[in-house]
Amino acid sequence: MDAVPAPVAAPPRPAPPGAERRLFLRSPPRESSHPLARDRLRAPETLHPSLWLGHQLGRTGSDAVATGFARLDAELPGGGWPRRALAELLLPHAGVGEIRLLAPALVAAQRAGRLVMFFDPPAALAAAALAGLGLDVEELLIVETRARVVPGSDSLWALEQALKSGHVGAVVAWLPPRLRVDRLRRLQLAAHHHDGAAFVMREAAVAGRPTASPLRLGLQAGGADRLQVRVLKRRGPPLEAPLSLELPTVLSAAARRRSARASERAAALHAATFVDFA
Amino acid sequence: MLWVALHFPLLSLESFAATLLAGDASATSALPAIALVDEHRISAANAAAQAQGVKPGLKRATALALAPRLTLGQADPARDAEAMLPLAHAALAFTPQVSLQPAAEPGTAADTVLLEVQASLRYFGGIDRLLQRLQRAIAPLGHAVRIATAATAQGAAVLARVAPPPRCLNLASTRQALAAAPVWLLGPGREHWEALQGMGLRQVGDLLGLPRAGLARRFGETLLAEIDAAFGRRPDPREAIVPARLFESRLELFARADSTEQVLHGAQVLLARLVAWLAAQHSFVRRFRLLMHHETRWQQGDRTPQATSLEIALAEPSRDSEHLLVLLRERLAQVQLPAPTLEIALQAEDIVKRAAPNSELFPTRQSENEGLTRLIERLQARLGADRVQRLAGVEDHRPERASRGQRADASGRPARMTPRGGGRARVADSRVAAASSGATTSCPSHPVWLHPVAEPLAERHSRPLLDGRPLSLLSGPERIEAGWWDAELAERDYFIAEAADGALVWIYRARLPLSAAAGNASGWFLHGRFG
Repeated sequence: MDAVPAPVAAPPRPAPPGAERRLFLRSPPRESSHPLARDRLRAPETLHPSLWLGHQLGRTGSDAVATGFARLDAELPGGGWPRRALAELLLPHAGVGEIRLLAPALVAAQRAGRLVMFFDPPAALAAAALAGLGLDVEELLIVETRARVVPGSDSLWALEQALKSGHVGAVVAWLPPRLRVDRLRRLQLAAHHHDGAAFVMREAAVAGRPTASPLRLGLQAGGADRLQVRVLKRRGPPLEAPLSLELPTVLSAAARRRSARASERAAALHAATFVDFA
Repeated sequence: MLWVALHFPLLSLESFAATLLAGDASATSALPAIALVDEHRISAANAAAQAQGVKPGLKRATALALAPRLTLGQADPARDAEAMLPLAHAALAFTPQVSLQPAAEPGTAADTVLLEVQASLRYFGGIDRLLQRLQRAIAPLGHAVRIATAATAQGAAVLARVAPPPRCLNLASTRQALAAAPVWLLGPGREHWEALQGMGLRQVGDLLGLPRAGLARRFGETLLAEIDAAFGRRPDPREAIVPARLFESRLELFARADSTEQVLHGAQVLLARLVAWLAAQHSFVRRFRLLMHHETRWQQGDRTPQATSLEIALAEPSRDSEHLLVLLRERLAQVQLPAPTLEIALQAEDIVKRAAPNSELFPTRQSENEGLTRLIERLQARLGADRVQRLAGVEDHRPERASRGQRADASGRPARMTPRGGGRARVADSRVAAASSGATTSCPSHPVWLHPVAEPLAERHSRPLLDGRPLSLLSGPERIEAGWWDAELAERDYFIAEAADGALVWIYRARLPLSAAAGNASGWFLHGRFG
């Protein structure tokens, strides 16, 4: 499995002019045959949904789930989170803004009358904060599998059951660390039955390892209320520059200015700036 | 009148095989050789035993010499009767007129079920379809079956023993088939078999031409009565069986079961019986109980219980044997048997009568809800009921108390059934409030992730450190002071701080040094992260 290179490493190669013509039009005389046929060969995606040119984004057969962030949608194949496939998110630690990133997709699933399930969230969830993000906590199930004797076995089992049942609207799972590749592959197969978005959260250290999921993003906090998203794997050309997404804000405008100033000066405010009761 | 007879030629053998454990079967080969012994002679042998040369009628010692690994058991009429009942129950799903043909020989259990199906033909789409479905219904019980149809009950019972069993749909063909049947199939004919053979009377048809008075004098009235009933010349009333109001089925295991997997193998048989009973009543089970009776230990002060009871409650009543088995397997996997199990029993009394669910080609809302219920049940069965939770908001300002995980009831989803019920009014209100006051100010500065126990932070120059790097405070303080009415008074000033990598965290410190002395340690605490 290690032979499969993660597409991160490959630098983006600008397509030479006329490359697509060389690829798809071996015989130039045919080009002049019919203008319509020529256009269709230039745009093979109009022929069949699973055809695309190397420098284009792949388009999944079923419609994707909109992420709620226009800049991210533009960079994801199909224009959103994939359905019937895993989306892998690599986090350095919980609390970089991942819930705010996923909230629009989860809310959309709940609006469609379907259930959202969380597996093994890394800490306690605050109901009021979730409601503030638009989630309906009554349509959210939290499955805890960590407290079992054999770690990992139950969490994968539970997740697989949920994906296979095909009745859950969206799934967010925090996977145990150091997961074997074949385990993830099994989950990816189970996800074929799951009509909706399925997110798996993993540690950032696996970024260089191969993965079975068709989409892998690296998340990182990019300053206050900003999230840096690196597209590590997608169906399409690699994306070198990380995306910086503007998250729904938790800070007031003044605090954001303060954060910006602080990052500019690289010298944070002293605690004594605030009221000190001691 | 059209009668269907289900004859189970290997009933005793199969009911004995069901008590064997799965582990025994895999030890030798796929099919272990099994035979029944009656007074030191083999009375029945299964295919694997017959392949090794064991035949009914052999002496026990001869059979063991031929097949050393032969598992020998004894026929038990009570056990056979227990196995027979679910077969009758399975037949009850097709017609209420189901009866058991009394055993031909005293001391053995009945092995033929009779169904009167004339009234059901139209509903099930003809006799062929009906027989197909009947076979499918009794297949899970795992008995070899011979099916005959005839115009009379007695005729069907006799013809089911003929190989191959004929299908007679009217009286004329029934009589014709009966005339060709051997005499010993009739109950009294077996007793007088040698005498009848000596007279050259081999087939039932041979008896028909003889003077009735002479036959009655030599072989008794019952022979004539049976012939008349079979030929439809004499009324043959049958008493329909009624399923018991409570289900209880027992299975005495052949060998001790030391592990729950072995118990599960036996429980599978009992579950198939339960499903047949449920199908007979057109009902669904809501709760059932598996009892495992343990070996008694004759030791002083032994506290091993006599029986372990495993209660399984379903959120949604069901009679899907596969689903029930999955639940039972997950629950059994958690049970530690205190002692080896000798006998298992399945009991069910909490049932619901309702119409059978429609089968649908495309998924609908209903089928999705049902699937979700099953998913949650399955998760709860394996992980424990408390591990599948639903969050609920609590009216409390202390963040660690403001939400509470509740056990999610699988059938629940009341919110789904009544789209805008009262239960979710508060959530809806908060959402309305969020929408009206604008997303930026509504969820002010409270994080999604909460540490269950606030984590003390190191300090340098009175600045809090996270992972050795200083936090910069961005907003605050927000004072939360609550809980004076109970023991956990919280007086804290919360700040939103930015960690070195840019993530936002929620930290606090005790409001007063005084309250710090009262129990809350002084200094900074990490309480949450903004997910």
